Amino acid sequence: MKKVLITIILALVAYIIYFLQSNFFNWFTIAGIKPNLFILLILFIGLFGGKTLGTIYGVAIGLIIDLLLRNQIGITAISLGIVGFLSGIFDKNFSKDSRITIMIMTFAVTIISELISYLANYFIFSINFEIMAFIKITLIETIYNLMITIIIYPLFQKFGYNIENEFKESKILTRYF
Amino acid sequence: MIVIFSNNDNGNLSFFETVANNLVMPIQNGMTYIKNKISGNSTFFQDISNLKAENEQLKEENSSLEKQLRELENIKSENETLKEYLDLTEKYGEYKTIPAYIINKDISNYAKTIVINIGSNDGVEENMTVIGDEGLVGHVISVTESTAKVQTIIDTSSSVSASMSTTKEAIVCKGTLEEKSALKAMYIPTESNIIQGDSIETSGLGGIYPKGIHVGTVKKVVTSQNIIDRYAIIETAVDFDKLDSVLVITNK
Repeated sequence: MKKVLITIILALVAYIIYFLQSNFFNWFTIAGIKPNLFILLILFIGLFGGKTLGTIYGVAIGLIIDLLLRNQIGITAISLGIVGFLSGIFDKNFSKDSRITIMIMTFAVTIISELISYLANYFIFSINFEIMAFIKITLIETIYNLMITIIIYPLFQKFGYNIENEFKESKILTRYF
Repeated sequence: MIVIFSNNDNGNLSFFETVANNLVMPIQNGMTYIKNKISGNSTFFQDISNLKAENEQLKEENSSLEKQLRELENIKSENETLKEYLDLTEKYGEYKTIPAYIINKDISNYAKTIVINIGSNDGVEENMTVIGDEGLVGHVISVTESTAKVQTIIDTSSSVSASMSTTKEAIVCKGTLEEKSALKAMYIPTESNIIQGDSIETSGLGGIYPKGIHVGTVKKVVTSQNIIDRYAIIETAVDFDKLDSVLVITNK
């Protein structure tokens, strides 16, 4: 029962993030660059729910974004799926109670995810490879994501432990060791 | 699963697209409506006394303007008859268009697709050209019953076959990441003499965009040692940041 509730809440959060991204963050930008809250959401789900849950949510949310806005189905699904998978691996190796590690993880997954999407677009649509513009946009986006992580991670953490208790295969509470 | 989805012809996925759209678009529509209302009413809370004084002033101004208007109307009718003499037709008069509002813009920093509030029920089909008041906006990439996805010309994966208005030589305009209202004109013929300020129009090649739609003007020409590498930056006629309504051309 609790699993269903958590799934509904996560779907609602994704729904709200979609509207934040397409309305609020269209004008609340840093130098015209908006953050990517979906990457953060998938990172948090992967960290607390493990790599399977992270990958499933990443692919599902990515597919919906592709269907709604993109001309090629699959690119966002793959990049967010990889974010979910990586987050699950991060959880096994790093502590998620330290802010520094969380920030390093945010930094890493944002860059990896955007790099995958950009390279996929590069190979599929043979777009011009504009390395400087890409680095600039990705760096600003990463910094924006880091700032948001600092604010919302403590809020998500509590809910995250609920996900962990329900969805993790092994119920050993690693955070106490 | 992703392999199946990505290799599938998008037509088979329109059911899923419709479901996703039905989940999101009604709320998005409402939000756009509220946003437009709020931005329209931003001057509501102003000092009333200021307004009264302003009202008096405006009344005076109004009467003088009315006088001017009558004079201008005379000039206008004269102008119109002169235009008829010159046989100038309106630029896009030959196209049948449907007006639409933009209800959604892309959520990422790299893609620049938009979603408009008309779909197959209104007669919109894939690959139809979308224009703004000033010029070319993009083309429809997929349609549901009540919405349509439009790839703008500033999207990095978009290429427009265009020609320069003076020399009529063909170039290809691609979207760039660097600027939001600029295109990169490539494959400029080596013997061609491209000039700053030259107007760029669609060439009609490629089968999507009809011929003669204004794209933008040449902002600067970047030359390198190798003349084959030279490119030009085209400033788009449409301001994509402020764009909120478009026209879809339904005949070609």
